[in-house]
Order: sequence, then structure tokens, then C-alpha cells
Amino acid sequence: MAFFNEENEEIAKEIVGRYPVARSALIPLLHLAQEQEGWITKPAMEQIAELTDTTSVEVLGTGTFYEMFKFHPVGKYLIKVCTNISCQLLGADELFEHVKTALDVEEGSTTEDGLFTFEEAECVAACTEAPCFTVNYRYFHRATPELFDEVVVDLKAGESPLSKGCADDQGVMPKHGTLSRVRQQIPKTRSAGIKHPEEIKGPPSWIEEVV
Amino acid sequence: MSYLKGFLVTFRQIFQKRVTTPYPSQKRAKPERLHGRHVLGRYEDGMEKCIGCELCAGVCPANCIYVRGADNPIENPVSPGERYGFVYEINYLRCIHCDLCVEACPTGAITESKMFEFSFTNRNDAIYTREELLVDSESGKPKQLPWEDWREGEDLNTSGWLRATSPNGDASYEGQIAWSGDLGYGIRKAEIGQSDTETLEEEQ
Amino acid sequence: MTDITSAETAVSITVDGKKVTAKPGELLIDACERNGTYIPRFCHHSRMQPVGMCRMCLVEIDTGRGPALQPSCMIECSNEMVVDTQSKKTIKAQEGVLEFLLINHPLDCPICDKGGECPLQDQTMAFGPGESRFIEEKRTYRKPIPVNENVFLDRERCVLCDRCTRFADQVAGDSLIHFIDRGNKTQVNTYPDQPFSSYFSGNTVQICPVGALTAAPFRFKARPWDLTEVESTSTFDSVGNRISVQESRDRVLRFTGVDSDSVNWGWLTDKERFIFEAYSNENRLSGPLTTNEVAEGSQKHAVATSWSEAYEKFVKAINETTPERIAVIGGSRLTNEAQYIWSKIAKGIIGTDNVDAQLDDGFSPEVLLSLNPSTIDKTCKPGGVIILLGADPKEELGALYLRLRHAILQDQCKLIELTPTKTGLSQLATHSIRVPPGKTLEAVKALSGEPSELEDDILKELTKVQKIIKNNDSISVLLGRTSLAETSSIVEEGAIKLQEYLPKASFLPLLRRGNINGAIDMGLSPGLLPGRCDLEEGSDKLQNYWPTCPTHKGFKTKEMFEAATDGQIDVLILLAADPIMDFPDSQLVQEALDRIETVIAVDIFATDSVLQADIVLAAATATEIEGSFTNLEGRISPIRKSVTPPGTARPDWMIALDLVQYLVPNLGPSTFKELCEEISLVSGIHKDFDFSKVEQIDKEGVVLNRGKNKTQTSLIKIPKQKANSFRLVVTRSMYDKGVLSAHSSALKGLAPGSRIKANPKDMEKLGITSDSTVRLIGLKGEIQTRLTPDPETTRGTIHALWNQDGPDIRKLIDSSLPVNDLKIEKI
Repeated sequence: MAFFNEENEEIAKEIVGRYPVARSALIPLLHLAQEQEGWITKPAMEQIAELTDTTSVEVLGTGTFYEMFKFHPVGKYLIKVCTNISCQLLGADELFEHVKTALDVEEGSTTEDGLFTFEEAECVAACTEAPCFTVNYRYFHRATPELFDEVVVDLKAGESPLSKGCADDQGVMPKHGTLSRVRQQIPKTRSAGIKHPEEIKGPPSWIEEVV
Repeated sequence: MSYLKGFLVTFRQIFQKRVTTPYPSQKRAKPERLHGRHVLGRYEDGMEKCIGCELCAGVCPANCIYVRGADNPIENPVSPGERYGFVYEINYLRCIHCDLCVEACPTGAITESKMFEFSFTNRNDAIYTREELLVDSESGKPKQLPWEDWREGEDLNTSGWLRATSPNGDASYEGQIAWSGDLGYGIRKAEIGQSDTETLEEEQ
Repeated sequence: MTDITSAETAVSITVDGKKVTAKPGELLIDACERNGTYIPRFCHHSRMQPVGMCRMCLVEIDTGRGPALQPSCMIECSNEMVVDTQSKKTIKAQEGVLEFLLINHPLDCPICDKGGECPLQDQTMAFGPGESRFIEEKRTYRKPIPVNENVFLDRERCVLCDRCTRFADQVAGDSLIHFIDRGNKTQVNTYPDQPFSSYFSGNTVQICPVGALTAAPFRFKARPWDLTEVESTSTFDSVGNRISVQESRDRVLRFTGVDSDSVNWGWLTDKERFIFEAYSNENRLSGPLTTNEVAEGSQKHAVATSWSEAYEKFVKAINETTPERIAVIGGSRLTNEAQYIWSKIAKGIIGTDNVDAQLDDGFSPEVLLSLNPSTIDKTCKPGGVIILLGADPKEELGALYLRLRHAILQDQCKLIELTPTKTGLSQLATHSIRVPPGKTLEAVKALSGEPSELEDDILKELTKVQKIIKNNDSISVLLGRTSLAETSSIVEEGAIKLQEYLPKASFLPLLRRGNINGAIDMGLSPGLLPGRCDLEEGSDKLQNYWPTCPTHKGFKTKEMFEAATDGQIDVLILLAADPIMDFPDSQLVQEALDRIETVIAVDIFATDSVLQADIVLAAATATEIEGSFTNLEGRISPIRKSVTPPGTARPDWMIALDLVQYLVPNLGPSTFKELCEEISLVSGIHKDFDFSKVEQIDKEGVVLNRGKNKTQTSLIKIPKQKANSFRLVVTRSMYDKGVLSAHSSALKGLAPGSRIKANPKDMEKLGITSDSTVRLIGLKGEIQTRLTPDPETTRGTIHALWNQDGPDIRKLIDSSLPVNDLKIEKI
């Protein structure tokens, strides 16, 4: 029941090797799984359990605690509209309704073409730039229905709408699940060499010895 | 003739109004709050109210109630919810009609009627089973057993109005029948609330 | 549990103005409870690590920085701590927490199985606010969902105390239930399609502080106030777990674990917990039976008879033959008292020494008697070394497994496994060494530095083990059968050698069958008399009570059957034994039973062996008798009567006392009290023990002081394994086709079924896949089966489970051989 593709399985094993206890790699592996599939599938959880020496239900239980791990299929772009107080005062409700009609989806569901998933967000910490919506966690400040429409046109055309969002973010809009554009590689020779907690004897290294 | 003197009291009483009742050919009216034999109620859809929780059996000071619960059959449920009383027996050789079971019942399933006149020739008959205690699912009428003496209208006194109003409840609701969804057979006018002195005085 | 190391530095704390002393490191909540102040709690459980989930135990604590509300289950006592459990703030916190917990808790107490014994109910009454301000709709879930075959979960009742999930993770090690989701959506659940299949799942029902987890066998059966409970001992396995037997209307409805500090800590396996269903099964034998005198050739036909007639037939059968042609097998289900009186009938009245309570699945009592005795506490002593020589405690003695697991994980014990198969503890072992079957002695030799013929990689591991053993002075050995397809001498020799090498090591024998240790103490073993003394030593003490006494050692079970096939046995008495099912070599048993003239069975069910008996005496079982039980440590604890036996079935001791009167009128004992007195008089190890007062023993029981004898065993020559042959290893699993499990609706579906495993490399070599049918050929028989590839199985072996559905593994076992080697043929 292998879920990870060959390349990712290599990465997964490398991630597990970074920690003194395999189960520490649980969340990094959930990220990796979400990156591969866009959401976390059952086979993914089962393989992560195998890799981290835990049980599937521990993986499910840990994963479901975090809101950004999705346990149901998500479209290529995850659109979240903040409706918390600052945004709401500056027109988030109108934006919310607009998104619903423009994409023809209910909150929490995915468009038929599988491109967009629409969710309501709690405060995204951009109150000074309200109202705000995000696409794959990329921010679009002082949003209007027109801005949203432009972003959707770009996304449907396969172009990057990022220039319309936060000023300094000029790259390509990655698909949902992508954690970073550059993957961290730590060769074995440069690993921190953390010991298993049970192997550490004596006081922690940060406590200076009293002479 | 002096013996006639002794009859004086007798002759004087012959023409007086009689104070006794020739029971059982004639019955006296029963007090409002008489505790008679129990009935098990149903909801309007015919479902049994009893959920087999055994609180009545637990509270019974005479140990006369035997209840056992069981899983409600999903296809053909007996009561709403997951549990129903599949055994419900009251032993009337033991019952002291204290009504604590009625007080304890969380669903108002068990109430006492005013019917108390029954006699048996064997001990088995004294144990009323669930089938015998349950009211009819259509009409709400209790089941009359062969050894019970019912007169006209007596079966109407079956509904559960004997339930006491909570002592710390709102006085303005006193005397009102507290639950709905009963088949309602024989529901009487509520007894006048004790704090409702005006009405009391009027009636007197 | 908190680690309480020494009481030297006891701390003094003030609780509600009263000065009390606490142990250092003790949790405040425990210290308060010990001193009579109960702080309400849901998540805290003294056998598990604290989590502080429920906030119910908030109290005002002042450690010098001013009073503040803190969870008392998370705070260790420190000197000069001032605690106020009655302050306004504390009470407001308690009321607030309860009101909060009840927001989503349904008020369905009348239909909830927990209602009446529910900590949430009780503590709401005692500490709750009385009213709720919550008028909104409560959370609902689909109810109830089965988390496994026997446990139901009502998620809306859950207060998220983390007890069940902590139990599954920390205590049982089966982390198959977990919190899922977060915030107000948090729920306990299993992974989709992966049930909570743990041998210990029933414990979560017992520790759930609300009615969220309920057990299927007790579901809606009765309310807690209906139940009458007595504290008894589980007779199902030899750990002798303390249990509470709960009965209503003369029917046992529930077993719950009792927290005995030296035995089971309150835990039970599901098998012990739900086995009571078998006791009230309608197929129980309810009266004596005899076979009809029928024309030859037709089948035996059992008919009900009277007790007196059955007894007369018994006596007639005994009198028609000579003592040495009579054999008695079994007796491990009986209480100590019944075992003694049966031992007296067999050895002291009939005069035969062909008596054995073990069905060739245990150890020779002489060996057991020569080893240093141990207790569970001694074995689990913090920091010690535990050597496992055989048997998987998880499969055979579940409660012991939990104690061992705790010792390894929490108390820094080191486990060394020298077993041919992987066990439930292998993952936790410091060294888990796969000793090839039959080579236990070789491994012990290597350990003690002698030359041995094991492979190099095993030897290398063993040198590491040597270092661990040298540096530790608390060494305990767990001694169990590594395989039912080999002779017990293999492990016995290893144990004796180990004792020579480590004279201070103590040994805990893992004989699993019920009261088998009591049976050995009472003399239900060839060559032994009550009090664990041999025939010579014991006969003096017994001469006033026993009319005769055998002079030379009789047969063991295996030898009895072998003698029977030669026509040397006329009468066989089965004391609750089912050799057809339980003896490894079933063909030998069948041949023997066919030859024996009269088979007499004392049992509770019509087992396969009972069906072949001529006289059947219906016995009462553990919940129906008074008596005592001896566990694997030699700890005596009471068995208490809860319900009446079915029909005219009688307790075993009563049957035996009746028979004494029939066999030798006027010979005592004639009452239970006299029987108890006689045991104390004749048995050296029981001389300070009053059997008539066992019910006064507390839940910790009384450990017998058993001496030890010297013994010598002759070395068995284990034949070298031939090339291309496969050595058979047969082990037990928790659930099998046993007669009690089969009569318990909760347990009968749980047997894993036959899975005969081989190493995939071996299979590859032979060109076999998991789909191909093969023929396994032993010396006595053969079976056709499929092999399951399992990399954990040692190369050159075949690993099978005992007593499962599917091909009958017993056909391959020839008990006259020390080991059984098989040939595999492809079809």
C-alpha cells in the first residue's frame, strides 16, 4: 500500500532519518503527502504510520488537529475569504457572497472542474489590509469583487495572479499543498546529530557546569 | 312492652338516609387522588413510553417491580431511542400503591389509575406483565383483565395527572398536565392548584 | 503512576488547614485522597500517567507565591504547600468545569449503562452547580458505534478525559483509538475500518468515567443497583487476577477488575472479562449422566441419572480393577480444596499415583520445585533484568503482560528474550534473540560462557546479554513452553542450567492453566503429595488421614495414554480435562480412550472428551463455589460464590466428599470445614493457612512460603535437524477454540483462525507462494494447507497456532519425539 511516489519516498525516509525518534517526522510527512496529492488520503496516512512507527489512527488524530491539513479532496486552488471582524466591517460579507455566485459553489466545497475550493477563514492576521482573501495561502489585500474576478480569470488562464496580491510576491502560483518552492536538503553528513533522548546522560548542554 | 323501648333506636333509624353503601353492587365515588393499578402509556404514534431504565424498580420500596431493558430492534422499534423495556412486571401482592414509581419515571410511562378492585385465585395472576399493563395502541384504553371489576366510566380515570407538580416550580403552572404526546385516553380536568385559593373558595 | 522512591524526605503539606505528610513526588490529588480529602476528577487514574485533561481537580494551591487554581493531578507535593479544596474560588471552578462538561453531555442517564455508577453523575451531584445555563442544542453523533466486537462508543457522552486513549497507548500498547479533529469537534474514534482490536479493550469500559464506552455483553442487561457483587479471583489463567463478580437474579452479568497492587492493578484481558457468558450458557451440564447399556457396535448414548446411582457406578468401576490400572488426569480448574480431596481420593483411598493435572503442556513439577521462587512484583522490580525463556505472555497471561510492559517502559527493566518466535514483548526487549527451536539449553550455555553450537550472530548478541546480566543483581526468569510441538525438557534443562549459572536469579513459571499451581501444591502430580513433598517424605504425615499411599511414582499424562494404548489402564478419571482438545497428540488420546473401559468425567460442559465418558458428574464452576485459588506466584486468594449452579450440578469438593463416603464410609473429612482443617494439618506449606477463612483475605492475597528441592534431570538428546526439513513450532494465541470461549458469545468469533507461517526465503527456495497448497508431513500424519509468508518466522521452522479452525495441526505432533520435524511437499 505504497502511497508516496519513488522520489517522495526517498525524501520521506530522509526526513525520518533527521529525528532521533521516528514519530517526530509525522507532521513533515503529512506535509509531504499533502504536497503530492493536494490532500491527505487514506493510503498516505497508512504509509506515514508505517514510516514513523505509529498507528494510522495516531496519524489521523494528529493530522486532523491542524486545520491546514485537508482530509478531503481539495481543488488546485484553495480560496479562503476572511469574514472576521475587520474584514467584515470593510465588506467581507459582500465579497463572500460574490465568491459564492462567481464560482457557483457552497462554502466548503469544490467547483465541478476541480479547480477551486472555497472556504471561509477566521482571521488571517491582515486586519490592516482588510478585506482580505487568500489563494493557496497567498494574500490578496483590500479585496474587491472585481479584484477577485481578475484573479480567477488569471488562474483559469493558467497565469499567475500574484502580482495583484502582496507586492513583493512575484512568482508562480503553486498548486494546493505545495509547502515551499525550494526543498530543504540536509545531507547526512551535516545532520545535527541529535541523540535519542534516552541516550542523553547528565544535565542538558545548555546548563553551565558550576565549578 | 318495655322491649319496644329497645327498638326505639332501630325504628328511628329505619327512616333515616342510609350512610353505608351496598358494596360491591354499588360503588362509592373515589377520592381524586386514589392510587390504583398501574398502566403503561404510549406516545401518539403507538410507541411505548417505557425505556426500561429500571428507575421505578429501583425506587420501589416494596420491591414489586421487575424491569429489564434491551436493545431496541432497529427495524421495528418498540420505543423511541435505543433501549426499551422488554420485561415489565408488577407484583400486586406486594405493591403498596405509594406512587413513587410514577414520580421516578423519566418519560411518564407509568401512571396509576383509580382501578384497584381486582382479586385473583392464584399468584401468577397477581403479577401483571408488560402486555397487561400497556394501554391499547389505538385508543389508549387500558386492558381489562378477567378478574378486574370495572364499572362504566372507571377506565377513564387512567391518565397520568396524578403526577405531582414540582414543589419549586412556577406556581402559575400548577395543576397543568405537564406532558403532551400521550394518547390522552381519559384525561380529566386538572385538579385545582392548592395555591389557587380563589377557585377553591368559589367551588366551596 | 508516580515513582515513589523513598519515604526519607517526606514532605509536609497543609490541606484545608490540616497538616498532612506526603511522599516525595506524590501527586497532590493522591496525597489528599490518602489523607481523606477527595478531590473530584475524571482524567486522573493512578495506574496511568497524569495529563490534566479534564480540569475537574482544580484546587487553590499556594506554594509561597500566593494561592492560585492549579490541577492537583499534575502537581507534585512540595514542602510547605498550602492547599484549599473548599475555597470559594475552588468551588466556583468545580461548578464551572462541570457545567462546561455537561454542555454537550446528553442527559440520557436513564438509558445509559453507566447511570448509577457514573463518576460524572456522582460528581455533578456532589460538586455541580445544580443548574445549567445552556439552552442551545447539544452536539449529536451517530450512536453507538462499535469500536470492536465487544465495545461500543457513544461519542456524544464523551468528556475527552483521555483515559481510554491513554490506556490504549501507555498500558496496552495498542494505540488504535485516538482523539480526532479539534475544538468542539474533537472525538475519540478508531481509524476507518481498523477496529480497536486489543486483547485489553474491555478495560477502557471499566475506566471510562462516563457512559461513552460500554461493553456489548453487559449492554442494557441490568442497572448497577440491581447488581450484587462479591470479590473473587479469576480462575481463567494462572495469574489469578482479582475480580468483582456482579450478579443479578442468579445470573452473572459482569466481571470487573479489582485493583490489586501485587497482581493485576485492576486490569483484565477481554477473555477473562467476558468469559462469564460461558458459565451461564444453557449447554452447561446440569446433572450426572451415564451411558446406556446398549447392544455392541451401536453408539454410546448418555442418559440422565441420579447422583447416588452415578456414585455407585463410580465405586463399582474402581472396585473392579486394581489401583495401578486407574488414572486421573486434570484438576487445574478446581479450587485448592477440591484439588486436595481429589488428590486424597486418587492417592490416599484408591492408591494410584497415576495422577497428573498437566496435559503435557506444562513442566515437570520436580523441575519447578527446584527453582528459586519468584513473584510478579519481584520480577518487575525497577531496574531489574527479565529473561524470557518461553511462551508469549501477551497471548497466554495477559495481565502479566501488562505488568511486564509497565516494568520495561516505566521502571527501566531490561527484557532479554530467548524464544524461537517473536512475542508480544519483542518490540520492547533490550535483546530479542531468536533461539532455534530445541536449542534453549545451547543458548543458556553460551550465556554462561560455555561452548555452544549456536550460530555466530546469535552468540554475538548473547555476549552483549552477558554484560547486562553481570551488571545487575536482580534477575528474574520467565519460564514457559516455547512450543507445544516439543518436549518440555528443552526449556527445563535451560532453566536448570541458568539457575546453576545465576544462583540468585528467581524463576516465575508461566504455567497458564487456571489453578495448576494449586494442583501441584495439592499433589495432583505423579510422585508428589500435598505440600509439594515426594512420596516418601509425605507418607508419615498422611498416615493418620490417608488409608493408603502410593509407594512408587506413577505415570505422567503422556505415559498414561501410552500405557492405555497398551491396555494397561482400565479406569480414567477426567477432572475437568479435555485431552482430546488440549493434549498435543490427539491421535494418541483417541486410541487410548478407545481402549479404556470406563471413562469418568467431572466437568461443566460436554466437551469432546466428556462425550466419550461413561459416567459424567456435572460440576459447578468458579462463580458458583466457595474456595481458594493459588496463582503462579503461590499466592492464595479467595474464590467466592455468587450464583447457584445449574440443575443439580455440584461443586467439585462436594462430589469428592460424597465419593469419600461411598468409597470408605466413616473416613473424613465429611464437611467443608473438616476438609479445610485437614489440609492445614497434612500439608507443610499450608500449615499456617486457614482455608475456612479465605474470604477474610484482602485483595492482595497471601503468598505461600514454598521451599525448594534439589533435582537432577537426565539430558534429552535433541536430534539434529535434517536438511530440507522444517521444525514445527506451535504456540498459543489468546483466542482459540477452547470450550469456554466457544460458549461465550462475546469471544467465540475472535479466534484468528489457522495461519501456518513460514519464512518467505524458505518458501522461495521451495518454490511455494502463499497461494499454493502444500502437504506438511510429520511422522504420524500429514495435513494439506497453505503457508503464510512471515519474515519474523525463523528460517527452517514452521510456526502454527494451537487449537484454531482450519487444518488440524495436532496431526503433525508425535509426543514421543522431543521435537517434530516436518517435510514440505508441493502439490
